[in-house]
Amino acid sequence: MNIDEIFDFTSFTIDREPHIVLDNQVCAGCDNRGCANSCPARCYTWSEAEQKMTFVYDGCLECGTCYVVCHKNAFIRWSYPRGGFGVAYRMT
Amino acid sequence: MKKQFQAIVVGAGPAGSSAALTMARAGLDVALLERGTFPGEKNMFGGILHRMASIEEVVPEFWTAAPLERHIAKKGTTFMTGEASFHVQHETVNFDHAPYNGYTIFRPRFDRWLAEEAVKAGATLITRAMVDDLVLKDGRIAGVTIAGRAGELIAPVVVAADGVLSFIAKRAGLRQPKFDAGQMAVGVKALIDMPREVIDDRFGLVRDQGFANEFVGCTGGVRGGGFLYTNYDSLSVGLVFHLASLRTSAKTPYDLLNAFLEQPQVAKLVRGGRLQEYSAHVIPEGGYNMIPELVGNGILVAGDAAALCNATGVNLEGINLASHSGILAGRTVVEAHERNDFSKTTLKRYKERLDLSWVMKDLKGFRNAPKMLHIDRIYNEYPELVCSMMEHIYRIDGTPKTSIPKLIMREVKEKVGLKNAISDLLTAWRAL
Repeated sequence: MNIDEIFDFTSFTIDREPHIVLDNQVCAGCDNRGCANSCPARCYTWSEAEQKMTFVYDGCLECGTCYVVCHKNAFIRWSYPRGGFGVAYRMT
Repeated sequence: MKKQFQAIVVGAGPAGSSAALTMARAGLDVALLERGTFPGEKNMFGGILHRMASIEEVVPEFWTAAPLERHIAKKGTTFMTGEASFHVQHETVNFDHAPYNGYTIFRPRFDRWLAEEAVKAGATLITRAMVDDLVLKDGRIAGVTIAGRAGELIAPVVVAADGVLSFIAKRAGLRQPKFDAGQMAVGVKALIDMPREVIDDRFGLVRDQGFANEFVGCTGGVRGGGFLYTNYDSLSVGLVFHLASLRTSAKTPYDLLNAFLEQPQVAKLVRGGRLQEYSAHVIPEGGYNMIPELVGNGILVAGDAAALCNATGVNLEGINLASHSGILAGRTVVEAHERNDFSKTTLKRYKERLDLSWVMKDLKGFRNAPKMLHIDRIYNEYPELVCSMMEHIYRIDGTPKTSIPKLIMREVKEKVGLKNAISDLLTAWRAL
């Protein structure tokens, strides 16, 4: 199975606003960044050059992993997407 | 939209819909809120729907009416390394006739059906409704607000069935503000399309028989395990990782899933299948020790929100506990309405009911299982030990054989150390 393809098989209704917002100061000072490897949807990317954590919300599976593994509480906002938006499983 | 109800249930999963169904049947005016466009849209599991005696009482035709897939007649466990595997399997005719011991299901279908049962009983299902806060009045919970919608939904009592992260329980001060990653796991799953006949032939199944398998030693050293469940014409295959272990592993769930699917013994099982959907969700695996406060003034917590999940490593149960807790929460709310008293003191009856039920008895009985599952050796050394031992036992190559007891001692000493093995055995004994 091709890993890049794996993400193409899940459906989403994407909202305009992100449901998770990070405080980049906190991420820059983090000693672990477990979110980047633990997120099953590859939403978190740490850029060493920019010293910046990027979160892409439109592929988020709303699984809760980042909420649990982040020990720095780097979230300015962590909520589920508004009703009717976000991941839409069909048969899982 | 109507604003006043006799009870509000947050989350139309197995716990919430069971609670709403119980209350609606008793004549209460209940709102069942779901943030998806339909119940089940956001829900995933491994998994098996185990026998649910309490829902059978509420819906007697449950097992024929609910949208179920195959019944689990065969269960296996595979200990594996990169190259080898050792498989044990149990099968009995007793799990091959009604009442069946468990089924595979699709959550978007099953959860939707259960919520519809609550609607048929008179509950008001409101979808696309993400609750973002509780309404407090005189120090007690009096309703909820919904993100992006004006006004409040008012009720004297709220059932928080909003899933593992339960922001409702957090807001009500019933759960710890920060989760312990050591008590949480994440499951990732690939749903793989496969013709029914191929599944029947490949797994040795007839009629509606299903097969469930767990795998140990397939998670690249991260604490966790693998699973494979047969649906009618698809396989649910995936991995579960303990988050405290995953977050420091520098490994990703999807790379590990890919490696799992490419392991020669697993690749054979999924060969020819087409990926249909990829999903993931956190699982509360801390057991008895992570259960939050279950009641407050005007609020009860049920299902995953209450961490009612029993992951012993042998059986993995959740939906059955969720549904039972929902029913008990529902009954307690009905009683509270009869007394017109929604204080914590009255709602405590829910906790008492749960304590007396198999739900808490099981969780309490297996309260040491999470400790056992934190033994890292289970996920690398022991599968290697078993596979290597079996290879030595089966290998015939013209050299003299070592006696089996001697071989076991040698392998145990070599792979895990005698002291560790004894200590692990004791931990497992206490846990199970």
